[in-house]
Amino acid sequence: MFGPTLKAMLTPALTLAEGTSAYLPIALILIMAISFAAINLVGTTLLGPNRKGERKGMTYESGMAPIGTARKRFNVRFYLIAMTFLLFDVEIIFLYPWAVTFPNLTPRSSEGVIWLTRIAFFMLTTIVMYLYGRRKGVFKFD
Amino acid sequence: MALCTLESTVIEWVRPSTVTTLGTPMDLNSLLHGILTAQTIVSAVSILIFVHVNLIAAAYLVYAERKISAYIQDRIGPNRVGFDFGLPILKPLKGMIGLGQPLADGIKFLLKEDFTPNNVDKILFTIAPAAIVICAFMGTVLIPWGGNLAIPEFTIPFINVDVDAATVAVGGAAHINVGLVYLLAITSLGVYGVTLGGYASNNKYSFLGGLRATAQMISYEIPLGLCILVVLLMVGSLKADAIINHQMTHGWLILGQPLACIIFFIALLAEGNRAPFDNAECEQELVGGYHTEYSSMRFALFFLAEYVSVLTGCAIFALCFLGAYHIPGVPMTHPSDTSILGVLVKTSVFLGKAVGLVCFMMVIRWTIPRLRYDQIMVAAWQGLIPITLVMVIVASVMVFFGVTNPLYTATANVGLGILAAVVIGWSAPKVANRKIALAGSRFNPLPGEIPITRPMRAAAADAPHQSLSVPQS
Repeated sequence: MFGPTLKAMLTPALTLAEGTSAYLPIALILIMAISFAAINLVGTTLLGPNRKGERKGMTYESGMAPIGTARKRFNVRFYLIAMTFLLFDVEIIFLYPWAVTFPNLTPRSSEGVIWLTRIAFFMLTTIVMYLYGRRKGVFKFD
Repeated sequence: MALCTLESTVIEWVRPSTVTTLGTPMDLNSLLHGILTAQTIVSAVSILIFVHVNLIAAAYLVYAERKISAYIQDRIGPNRVGFDFGLPILKPLKGMIGLGQPLADGIKFLLKEDFTPNNVDKILFTIAPAAIVICAFMGTVLIPWGGNLAIPEFTIPFINVDVDAATVAVGGAAHINVGLVYLLAITSLGVYGVTLGGYASNNKYSFLGGLRATAQMISYEIPLGLCILVVLLMVGSLKADAIINHQMTHGWLILGQPLACIIFFIALLAEGNRAPFDNAECEQELVGGYHTEYSSMRFALFFLAEYVSVLTGCAIFALCFLGAYHIPGVPMTHPSDTSILGVLVKTSVFLGKAVGLVCFMMVIRWTIPRLRYDQIMVAAWQGLIPITLVMVIVASVMVFFGVTNPLYTATANVGLGILAAVVIGWSAPKVANRKIALAGSRFNPLPGEIPITRPMRAAAADAPHQSLSVPQS
C-alpha cells in the first residue's frame, strides 16, 4: 500500500532529476545553506542566556523613549525607485538571451541587421522611459 | 513487515519490464547512472569543500579588515588571541598575531544572549538574517574555482553505479549554462534580508536604514547587470569556461573594456553595502541601520553574509575582467591542464585574485569618506545607468561589425567615458549650495571681522587678535 505511493511519488522526481541533474548541486547548496542558518539561529538561542525585561525590550532609538511605531508612511520616492528598477531589470533579463545569441551571428549579415534594429527599438523604448522619468524628476534626490 | 513490503515493491519497481515512464523503460540503476554523473559528484564534493573555504575566508577577512584598518589608522589591531585556549600545554600557540580572533569572535557570538525586543515582528525578525545568509551562500556555487578536472571511469562502491570518464568543472555549479543570470537572480534575492531586517525591527532607524539599503542595492543592480551584458556581448556565452577562453585569446577584459570594469567594481561596492556606499549603517544618522536591534549570532549572520557576498562578488569580477584562474605564460593555469595539481594551482591563483580585490575594497573603505545618500542615488540614476546603457549599444554595434580587437573596444570605452563625463557634467542640474555657514566662521564672518583663509596655525601666529577675538561694535 505504501509502496505504490512511494513509487508514484519518486518516479517523476527521479525522472525530473535525471533531466536536470546539472542543477542538483544548487539543491545541495540550498539545503546546506538553510541548515547552516537554522543551526546557527537555534544554537545561539539554546546556548546563550535569556533574560527579559520591560526596559530592556524597548526599541532602541538612541536612548530616547520611542514615539509611536516605525510602521508609518514613508517617502514615495522609494516606491518610484522600485518601479523604475523593475522596468530596467525586466529589460536586462530580456537582453540576456539576445546578448548570448547575437555575437554568434555572422558580422555584417542581413540577419544581424534585423537582430540589431529590433533590439535597438526595444532599447529605445527604455531610453524614452528613462528620459521621461528624468524629466518628471524621478531621479532627483535632494 | 512494512519494510519488507516496501523493499519488495522497490525491487519490483526497478525491473525494467514492469515500469515505464514517459514511454521509456526505467530502472533505478540507469536512473542513478543518469543522475550520479562525474560532474554531479565533483560538484557535490567541491560544494562541501568550498562552503568551508568560504566560511573560513569570511572569518579571516574580518580579521584582515581589522588589521588593515589598524595599519591605516596607525594602530596594531588584534594581536592577543592565539590558539592556546588558556591551556599551559598549548603555550607555543599563544599570541600568533591574533590569528585566533575569528574563532574567539565566533564562539562569543554563539554564547551571547539572542535577544528579541518586545515590539518586533518575531517571525520576520528571525527569517531576515537566515534569508541574507542563504542568498550569500547560494551565490558562491557559481564560481569556477579550479577550472576543469579529468575524472577516470570508476564504480561507486556499495550501490554499484558506474560513472563514465569525463572532464568536469571544479566548482559547485560552474558548469550550468545560465551561470551569470543565476548570479543576478541570487543577488536580487539578497535584498530581501535587508528589507525584512529593517521592517521587522520596528525601529525607525532600522526602517530608514533598510529602506536606504534596499533602494541603493536595487539601483546599483542595473549598472551591474548592464556591465555583465557588455561582457556577454564580447564573449557570446553565459558559461564561465567561454568567458575564460575568450580572455585567453583576446586578452583580459580589463584591457578591452576598462569603463565597464570600473563601473562593475563601483556597483559591486554599492551592492555589498561597502564603503563609500555604506549608507545603510551610517552611525551618525541611523545608529546601526537595519541591524540596530540584532544581537548575538543573528547579528553575526548579517556580517558573515556581507563578507561571503563580497568575496563572491570579487571572484565574479576576477572571472569577468581578470581572466579568472588564468595567468598568461603559466601553462599550469591554462584551462587545458586537467590534472589535480593544475586544479590546486588554479584554485590558489583565483582565490588570490579574489582576496586581493577584497583587500583593495578594504583599503577603499578605510581611506575614502562615506558619500551622502542623495549623491549615491544621483550617481547611479543620472551617471552610471545612462553610461552603461550607451555602452551596451556601442558594444552591440561593434559586435555587429565584428570588431573584437581589444584596442578598438578599449578606445571606444575610454572615449565614451570622457564623453559621458563632459555631457553629464554639462547637463547636470546646478544645485545651489544651501549650507548656511556658522556666523563667525571664516565662511560667514561677523561684521568688521577679516576672514582668514590661510591655515589656522600660521594665521594665529601672524595675527592672534584678528583670528581669535570678535571685534566690539
